[in-house]
Amino acid sequence: MEALPSLPNVAMKNGRIQIKKQTKATIVMRIVLWTLFAMTVIGPFLLDYGEIDWAEALSLTLGNLQMMFLQPAFNQITFGTAMMQIGITLALAFLATVLGAVISFFLAAFSARNLSPAWLANIIIASNSFVRAVPTVLWVLIFAIVAGLGAIACVLGMMLHTIAYLTKAYAESFEELDEGTIEALKASGANWWHIVWHAVIPQSSSYIISWTFLRFETNYDVAVAMGAAAAAGGIGFELFMASSFYYDLHEVGMITYCALVVAILLEMISIRIKRHYLGKA
Amino acid sequence: MATITLERTEQQADIFSRPQSKVAETVLQLTDVAKTYDKQTMILRNIDVALHKGEFVSIIGKSGAGKSTLLRCVNRMIEPTSGEIVFDGQNITHLKKKELRKQRAKIGMIFQHYNLVSRLTVFENVLHGRFGYKSTLQGVLGLYTEEEKQLALTILEKLGMQEHIYKRCDQLSGGQKQRVGIARALVQEPTLLLCDEPIASLDPNASKIIMDHLKEISQSMGITVLVNLHQVDVAMKYSDRIIGLSHGTKVFDDVPSRLSQFAIRDIYGTDVDELITE
Repeated sequence: MEALPSLPNVAMKNGRIQIKKQTKATIVMRIVLWTLFAMTVIGPFLLDYGEIDWAEALSLTLGNLQMMFLQPAFNQITFGTAMMQIGITLALAFLATVLGAVISFFLAAFSARNLSPAWLANIIIASNSFVRAVPTVLWVLIFAIVAGLGAIACVLGMMLHTIAYLTKAYAESFEELDEGTIEALKASGANWWHIVWHAVIPQSSSYIISWTFLRFETNYDVAVAMGAAAAAGGIGFELFMASSFYYDLHEVGMITYCALVVAILLEMISIRIKRHYLGKA
Repeated sequence: MATITLERTEQQADIFSRPQSKVAETVLQLTDVAKTYDKQTMILRNIDVALHKGEFVSIIGKSGAGKSTLLRCVNRMIEPTSGEIVFDGQNITHLKKKELRKQRAKIGMIFQHYNLVSRLTVFENVLHGRFGYKSTLQGVLGLYTEEEKQLALTILEKLGMQEHIYKRCDQLSGGQKQRVGIARALVQEPTLLLCDEPIASLDPNASKIIMDHLKEISQSMGITVLVNLHQVDVAMKYSDRIIGLSHGTKVFDDVPSRLSQFAIRDIYGTDVDELITE
């Protein structure tokens, strides 16, 4: 039985009522998605695989993975050294986060739309998005030109990226502040600093804490990579030595596990903090 | 018709308030105040208002009549486009930031939505009223003198809030929050209290408590109170004088007993029977 549309503007196709109307945009989107899908499927068949023996390649890869993750062991370093190196990595992340957070706080106060004039806010927001567009690794390497490769360049580079990230996060939580609260304090003769300190901070402190810790977690991940890439020391450097210098896959596995456990711990703390502060917000 | 009413009431106001104005000094004098955002629509036009010491004055009018704008022009939270504001014998129309802060400290303000810092305690919120008298450093560090704390406590007790001093403000009811708002304004030791729809978000019972407190403040402390109100009957009951605004123009300024049906029609564009009053 064919359903007849009760309204003149209802779209029909093969005697069925259409829920969505086909527009140019939906057709283009569909063509793009199907093309991408086809390319993904065809792609691997077009690669040049040379003389690879698939069975051998697969068994060797699995063997390496097995060595790494099923037989982890310390050979060149001890568990104590690993822990100390993780401590150094955490310290790098901590330093970059704390320094960045303090500077971010002031920049955020100057770039929140409800606290600052538009021109100042726009300047800070624009330069921030520029800083954020450049990856952290690149900033570290840029700072390495002046500070030399090592911990200082690493902290400076991570700090810069942290500032750009946290300023945005803080400013957004400042902007959540009820306009009336600012008005009330202004009307009683309070100046800008009074308002920031006694209305903005108490109202957004929980956001500040959880954003800061989230960034600390990110900075730890980055600091691991920086240990290798910028010779900043820490567990990342040990990982680099174990893999590229000693070719010791057992140790690579062990170090990965150590770094992973700390990352998971941080993640758990971060979730706790978020639930504790933001849950009640 | 509107102009006839206006002239009549002005004469009457003059006759009536003469004995009072001899004794009471003028606290606030607005002369020819006007406000426009785009030079076409006038939010306020030619407003002349004089408030005397200890007077309780209500502003009534439809939503969008310019009540809130008028109130905020008094302490220059909104800059008037033209006109003069003389407060406490000083012309504050063109005061610079620092001087303006000093004068604002003497003008308390309370709001429909209380505008407290909800995560801080009642005590902290009340002490915020002292910022106008403090330097940046004193304020940021929260250095309040014992006298100031004592003043805050006395006011809180007078408002019946002594049991909630250390409670966070987000745990209070609407009526209690508004009392904290009043305490914050009073701790400024103000000469003038501006109230922007103080009872619009409250139930009738809490509304009565708040209005009674405001009336008490004007009578016993000699503080001039200027209130924006939606409820005509509340304005009639509590005010010494009522100002009616319509489309940014003052159409009524007299004692409540003279607020006739005609005057209400001028202000609201409808008869009083058609208004919902509580």
